[in-house]
Amino acid sequence: MQFNDAVVQWGADSDFVANSKDPYASWRMIRVEGESSTSTDTYSPMKNGIFFPTYRSHKEVWDAVAKQSGTVAQEGIYWADQIAKESENTGYVLSKTFKTQTIEPMMMEPEAANAWFDPSSKTFHVIISSQSPQDMYQQGTQMLADSKFKTLIDNFVVHAPLVGGGFGAKDHSIFPYYGLLAGLYASAPVRLANDRFEQFQAGLKRHPFTMKNKLAIDPDTKKIQSLISDMDLDGGGRVNFSPSVAMVGATAIQGIYYLPKNDLQATAYPSRDPDHGSMRGYGTIQAMAAMEMMINEAANDLKVDPIELRKINAQRSGDKNSQGAIPNGTSRYVEMLQIAEKDPIWVNRKTAKTKFDAENPDKSYGVGFSMVTKDYGTGANAPVAYVNLEPDGKIKLTVGYVEMGTGTMTAQAVIVAKNMGRPSDEIITSEIDAWQTLQLEETDSPYIISQDRQDKMSKNPRWTPVETMASSASASAYFQSFATELATKIVYTNGLWPAAVNLWKTKYFNSQYAAISFEEPDRARWVDGKLNYQGFPPLSLEELSGEAHRLGLVTGAMIHTFNRWAWAEGEWEILGQRFNLAADAIALRYGTGATNQQKALLDNDGFHLLDRRSINYPKTALNNAGVTYYTPCATVVELAVHKGSGEVQLLSTHSWLECGNPIVKELVEGQMEGGIAMGIGHTLHEYLPLYEDGPGNGTWNLNRYKVPLAKDIAVWNQKHTILKPLSVEDPPKGCSEVVCIPVVAAIIEAIYQATGKRFYHLPVTPKDIKGEAQ
Amino acid sequence: MTQTISMTINGGIIGPIDVPDDLMMISFLHEYVGLTGTKFGCGAGVCHACTIIEDRSDGTAEILRTCINGVERFNGKTLRTVEGHAVLNADGEIESLHPVQNAFIKNFSFQCGWCTSGFVNAATALYEKLLKSPIAKKDVRTAIENALGEHVCRCTGYVKYYDAMEQLILETEGLTIS
Repeated sequence: MQFNDAVVQWGADSDFVANSKDPYASWRMIRVEGESSTSTDTYSPMKNGIFFPTYRSHKEVWDAVAKQSGTVAQEGIYWADQIAKESENTGYVLSKTFKTQTIEPMMMEPEAANAWFDPSSKTFHVIISSQSPQDMYQQGTQMLADSKFKTLIDNFVVHAPLVGGGFGAKDHSIFPYYGLLAGLYASAPVRLANDRFEQFQAGLKRHPFTMKNKLAIDPDTKKIQSLISDMDLDGGGRVNFSPSVAMVGATAIQGIYYLPKNDLQATAYPSRDPDHGSMRGYGTIQAMAAMEMMINEAANDLKVDPIELRKINAQRSGDKNSQGAIPNGTSRYVEMLQIAEKDPIWVNRKTAKTKFDAENPDKSYGVGFSMVTKDYGTGANAPVAYVNLEPDGKIKLTVGYVEMGTGTMTAQAVIVAKNMGRPSDEIITSEIDAWQTLQLEETDSPYIISQDRQDKMSKNPRWTPVETMASSASASAYFQSFATELATKIVYTNGLWPAAVNLWKTKYFNSQYAAISFEEPDRARWVDGKLNYQGFPPLSLEELSGEAHRLGLVTGAMIHTFNRWAWAEGEWEILGQRFNLAADAIALRYGTGATNQQKALLDNDGFHLLDRRSINYPKTALNNAGVTYYTPCATVVELAVHKGSGEVQLLSTHSWLECGNPIVKELVEGQMEGGIAMGIGHTLHEYLPLYEDGPGNGTWNLNRYKVPLAKDIAVWNQKHTILKPLSVEDPPKGCSEVVCIPVVAAIIEAIYQATGKRFYHLPVTPKDIKGEAQ
Repeated sequence: MTQTISMTINGGIIGPIDVPDDLMMISFLHEYVGLTGTKFGCGAGVCHACTIIEDRSDGTAEILRTCINGVERFNGKTLRTVEGHAVLNADGEIESLHPVQNAFIKNFSFQCGWCTSGFVNAATALYEKLLKSPIAKKDVRTAIENALGEHVCRCTGYVKYYDAMEQLILETEGLTIS
């Protein structure tokens, strides 16, 4: 059938379905600061709430009547009008329209699914290549329950293997469900696998943005006065993550800067293009790159060093974001800028250009810089972890997160060492079914649930705002690690530590003659795999696990957590002691020497499911925060533009990343290198036309879609600097997306420095540049 | 229509076996031989993920893409896939990896791994070529670029593949000449 136009018989022309649909979503973030950047806002989503437009003729209309003391919408429109008027009177206003393209994620493994029914066990199986297998477990179960085969199927098993790249395009894709459907109606096992043409045709794509931005800066102080942005997103034919991408795009455009006033709109529209989803960058590579291009242009116009302009306007700790929320953690933007401005590429850029251009008369040299900060997390993260310790000291870790090449498996195994002395001996990722032990109940959307409803539901000890989460949003380094570390901490505190105390007391101290207290488990240290405490003989994990099992202590912990820009925290009783722990569900395993009383508490799988004594979920109003976890990254690029062909040759890059304590440094470097390559592709190479000529027509593949090769990315001349964390206690931050963003505007600025030509669309091709080089 | 083919893969004789005339080599490896380490990427011969090695009787080797070559192209040939580089014990367990594989692991060269078998095969062919015909140290980077330059990786940004190969070649006695 492929490439055979005669196969499909076409009917009469009709209007496009997309033309009959309302936008997928509209957002508007209006903020006016109060007396200062940190005091109570005059108006903001966090202070006042969020309002939405009405839709007329399938367009959004913000039709509230402006009123300073009115409803959330009326006040919002009033302040939006004020911001617009004031910006016109600011000494320097840069108004630009930016357009970004849709691109193909091009993960190397196309989507595939196997499905079969085993009549002997009445079990239906699927194997899927997915970042969100837990979603398939829930939704696929519903599909089977609604099918005519429901009486034949007793069990549903989702097998989730390692994934050959995802980049967001395997998160909530519809493809695995086609596999399930094919399996339901087939008389034999089915393998449904896209070839690359089909993957281009049907796979999720990056959202193209059109942004009308207006940046107002006081020319004397060089301080940003306001930012107004109106973003239109093409969401493609079926709604996927477009509403969320629109919101993240709107909240991201502020980048590293403090905005005293902002009016940021984003609307995602349906179209006849393939579905646009959650590709790496998620609205921020589009929005922040545009902002960075404006900052570079403004610096040129205002005759101020681009890094100096950034330092003047960078957020300081405690400064509120464009939603009026306080970003978590310490803002180290100025520190990063101070480091970057000393880089030789930046310092020597003028003399280097003079020299390079003289030595290469057919080329023109340029240097560009950009710095962004990208959110990580979804505002409804629910990582799960289960760690189990065998009597012989073998550690097995199970997590829900999917390994898709980012190093989750390695990093999570390493996290275990903090509390258990060494990495786990075995790790299982993509676990789906084991969490049934926790008997969790999810009833509402965590994003729109009311505070009253949350308060009421949380009284049920089995209730949680979100049962499972997808492996997305750069969430493993911080969120999954948090759950993994907490599970190991529970085993340490309630198993390994009391076992150690017992051994030290009975074998290495005259306890029958004197008392000794061991009250500071956090002061013990693992050294070479053994637990050390105040000079007592170090104890191996094998000794400790054997003792913990003998005493019937806690030897395994399964936990579920929830984060809405802050962790849920519950009060728990473990072995008679009360703890406040950032988990909303916990099940424990006890050692082989457990008492009959303990054994009576266990389920058939050997878990004691605890009832939380109380729980504090983050307030639902935090949904208005949009995002609060950020990871900053900066990149300087030097390149040469060939005057005849317009070809861009990257000469070198240097990137700086502040990611807390990296769990495995080499994995972070790998993310940085891969991110730079993907950012270069977005900037210079990758392009898909929309609609009839685009990938939906089934003729697209790598023969005409160019992804960066090694020769395109200065493969021998990349430098990476990971900032030293403030302390060993800094948590690791999600970084897999931010690393692909600053290189975009850095390249565009470097092209400007080489050619004198500014571009406001992506990608910038040799055809665009040709003839423009000086 | 079918044809009868046979070949040697990783030291084992495969066939004679009847296969469809239009069967692509990658499908033969997956569906007939059970060797799934060779990955399908683009199906158009561009990404090189599906690369395997053909060993010729004159001691030279050629890199071939299996997604655009039919199985008949390999009839009677001696081939190596990614499964063929490690040293195995009598039970089929890995005793030691090839130096290229070790270099890639040591340097965290790959991420999702889908392109890795292609990189391993191309890099192994380069390594073995240099064992026979060492090159000057100044030419090492160019040799790596020529060997790996057409391979597509979407995760890594290539840096750690290239660094691993440069390090391996420079540190392995006999691959370079002063």
